[in-house]
Amino acid sequence: MIVESIRPGLAVASSLAAAGLILASGRRPNLREAWTLIAALVKLGLIVSLLPGVCSGIVYQTDLFEIMPGVRLFFRADPLGMVFGLVASLLWLVTSVYSIGYMREIKARSQTRYFFCFALCLSSTIGVAFAGNLLTFLICYEVLTIATYPLVIHNETREAVAAGRKYLVYTLTGGGVLLLCVAWTYRMCGTLDFVPGGFLAGQAPPQSLMVLFALFMAACGVKAALMPLHAWLPTAMVAPTPVSALLHAVAVVKAGVFGILRIFGFVFGPSLLKSLGVIPPLAALAAFTIITASIIALYQNNLKRRLAYSTISQLSYIILGAAILTPTAFTGSIMHLANHAFMKITLFFCAGAIYCRTHIESIDEMGGIGRQMPVTMGAFAVASMGLTGVPFLCGFVSKWHLGLGAVEAGEVALVFVLVISGLLNASYFFPIVYAAFFIQPSKSFRKKEHRTALLAPIVATAILSVLFGAIPFLIERQHLLASLSVSRIWGQP
Amino acid sequence: MSASRILIAIFLIPFLAAFLCPLAGLWRRRFVHPITVLGLSGSAVCAFCGLLKVVRTGPVHYTFGGWAPPLGIEWTLDGLSAGMAVLISSMALIVVAGSRVSARAEVGESVTAFYTSCLLLVSGLLGLVLSADLFNVFVFLEVASLSAYALVASGGRRARVASLRYLILGTMGATFYLLGVAYVYAATGTLNMADAAARLDPVMRTPTAVLGLTFIIVGLALKMGLFPLHGWLPDAYTHASDAASALMAPIMTKTAIYALVRILFWVFGTGTVTETFPVMNMLAWAGAIAVVAGSVMAFTQTDLKRMFAYSSIGQVGLIVLGIGLANKTAMAGAFLHVLNHALMKGCLFLIAASAGYAHGIRTLDDLSLLGKRMPWTMGAFWVAALSMIGVPPTCGFFSKWYILLGALRAGQPFFAFLIVASSLLTAAYFFRALEHTYRQRPERRNGGEGPVGLVAATTGLSLTIVSLGVLSLHVLRIIERAALPPGLQ
Repeated sequence: MIVESIRPGLAVASSLAAAGLILASGRRPNLREAWTLIAALVKLGLIVSLLPGVCSGIVYQTDLFEIMPGVRLFFRADPLGMVFGLVASLLWLVTSVYSIGYMREIKARSQTRYFFCFALCLSSTIGVAFAGNLLTFLICYEVLTIATYPLVIHNETREAVAAGRKYLVYTLTGGGVLLLCVAWTYRMCGTLDFVPGGFLAGQAPPQSLMVLFALFMAACGVKAALMPLHAWLPTAMVAPTPVSALLHAVAVVKAGVFGILRIFGFVFGPSLLKSLGVIPPLAALAAFTIITASIIALYQNNLKRRLAYSTISQLSYIILGAAILTPTAFTGSIMHLANHAFMKITLFFCAGAIYCRTHIESIDEMGGIGRQMPVTMGAFAVASMGLTGVPFLCGFVSKWHLGLGAVEAGEVALVFVLVISGLLNASYFFPIVYAAFFIQPSKSFRKKEHRTALLAPIVATAILSVLFGAIPFLIERQHLLASLSVSRIWGQP
Repeated sequence: MSASRILIAIFLIPFLAAFLCPLAGLWRRRFVHPITVLGLSGSAVCAFCGLLKVVRTGPVHYTFGGWAPPLGIEWTLDGLSAGMAVLISSMALIVVAGSRVSARAEVGESVTAFYTSCLLLVSGLLGLVLSADLFNVFVFLEVASLSAYALVASGGRRARVASLRYLILGTMGATFYLLGVAYVYAATGTLNMADAAARLDPVMRTPTAVLGLTFIIVGLALKMGLFPLHGWLPDAYTHASDAASALMAPIMTKTAIYALVRILFWVFGTGTVTETFPVMNMLAWAGAIAVVAGSVMAFTQTDLKRMFAYSSIGQVGLIVLGIGLANKTAMAGAFLHVLNHALMKGCLFLIAASAGYAHGIRTLDDLSLLGKRMPWTMGAFWVAALSMIGVPPTCGFFSKWYILLGALRAGQPFFAFLIVASSLLTAAYFFRALEHTYRQRPERRNGGEGPVGLVAATTGLSLTIVSLGVLSLHVLRIIERAALPPGLQ
């Protein structure tokens, strides 16, 4: 049932309004940060207020206006969008607190620009989540690309500018391909509205649809860091850590993965994809990415780069889950989209906290750091165990569904991929944890733990990763949202 | 005011102001600028009224001295010419009103001559779009061009060489055009557009008519700076004074494009140029080559205004490509891009004027000052650059979108691919400029934003760029209703 409501639109607009206010109050840092926090709270409140309705099967829609002949600009909060929207807005609140602490701690320059772009990014991320058709999606997706650029080059060093250039080359090319795809789809169908189960079936000969699918995957695959389109992500790690945390573990890359899920479920539809036969190559590519990125991560000595490769690997879990094309695996994909966000943001927060205090970035020098920063490294241990797939942490739940879906589809090889990658995860995360707690520090770390603004977000996201793996009620809710969107796509009651 | 009086007032107000300017300048030089602004705003208001009237009730005709059309000279205001008139007079108004301070600093003593040339340029362009007579078009093309040569020369010593080059090539273009018109006259015995259209059909396959068509296309291609006939454009726009290049860049090339569309589709007829002779296909290819060439050349520039000039060459190519695709979607996209590109280029050249006035910024290397010292101008630069690249929701995205759709509709996926590729090339050179704004510079200099007028103009234009993007459907509806050539599929 579709209900007209202004709330999805307001959720998008709230941080847009905040962006303006942030710019206007650039000379008064406390007021400026207050706008960020207020907007984050308002946005989260709006989205949470939609939750009961969406869980009972209602889809909320904000219809704005016609922007092209036959294509309207509109936002629609359906279960799939809600998962992404909830995660993004919840983590924005946490990251805002963390950002304020971090940016003030390192006395970063141009903080107004930083918070302005951050708010713009969040607006477009929620726009991506709630987009009701491909055009709205494209607009938000491109705004996200552009708004992230000043954040990537925030340090304004030669290295940062070079990284920004690489980021733009990849993402703008992806955006161009997406534009081509959307125009082609519009030419074929005359409509761009997302329909559960897809709307492309029978609109064109299979060969054209295969090319279109490949182009779509290339377009979204850039942000989803699907190999071989991933190279921008590790390079973009020169950005300040909160940017890496929110945008490169949650917003930007997840927008790409989310786009792939949308295109799977709401543009092509599972039955068309099965009959086109385009899925096996994609699944193989995703499996390859999972394993290869994990292996590369083993050899990274810079903590943030190791996390980046871990992200590349984990994102392909989500793509792989979608590519298995069974309801269970798709459910697992959607859940992993959320769960990976909780865990990965914790890890990035920890990396940032370590850097802030000690200016250490390479893993070699982190021996014994857990004795000085027990809370930070404790959270790090929890999140890394979660990513490995230890039971009672949220990573286990989604991986369980992914594995179950693979078995249902009869793809035992993919189960092996999951197991091997889990082992690899363990082997690149656990040495860090081990060294942090059990090795004598090579040099003395004089400073102790952080002030609350930096520590509280770390603890909060770590607790979230535990809660979504251990509290049946939360797991059930998350599963409900995911399975609701799956049943819409597969057309089951 | 009756419709035909509005039509004539659009042209007459700035034209009379052009004669008033020197007189006022002899007495008090400070009256010159207000008179110019008044003349242009009168013209802009009339043009808006005319557009509204035309969209509601259809084309308006005016015959000079009451002589009936084939004998007398006829002017016509239809959707397309009214739209162009609005664009020309309001862009000129914004530029002239905004750049008062920087123009005074640049042209100094010769401010009277400068504004008189501006008014003559604008009234020439307005006369061109209003006229429904082939020879009249030539006359006004020359009025506008001669004032443009003078305006370019106002930029100082190096500008004089650029102006001479512009004069030679521009005159060649005008000569080609006049030659073409002569052939058309020889074939049909008339200069009135509607009359010629009716008589051309039976004689279209004769060499005389074909030669006429060819010469007219070449002449106008020279005037619009279509690659490889763009030689005059970069130097002229770079070395002209900032206010002059901001005035010329958005509207001069567009008016030549207008003349081409008008003559190809209204005089020779849609059937002739799409079916009898494959002119449109050739134009599409020429446009496609110009898009790539212009963008690549823009990428190699180090001078800010020169980069903008080469970018204009690329964008003219995109518009010509859209026209050459010869279907309703692409044509509407091309018309939309004429409007959008005028807004963007006007904004960019005004930014260059502002940056040049406040900090002497001329090259990309200097741009770091723009980033550090001029927050408003910087914001406008971002918006205009994103629109040039075609990032939604700015207006540049939407015109590219319709040209792209038109390419797909015409069954030309290669052109579709090329349009996307040209966006990426545009991104390459604009982000190259934007990168410079983030570069660290140790030196500290004083000074902040540019003059208030320029800041207001650039900010206003950047807001228009975004809102015309979001509201582009309304502009498209007007174009589809009143401005598309008859008989187009």
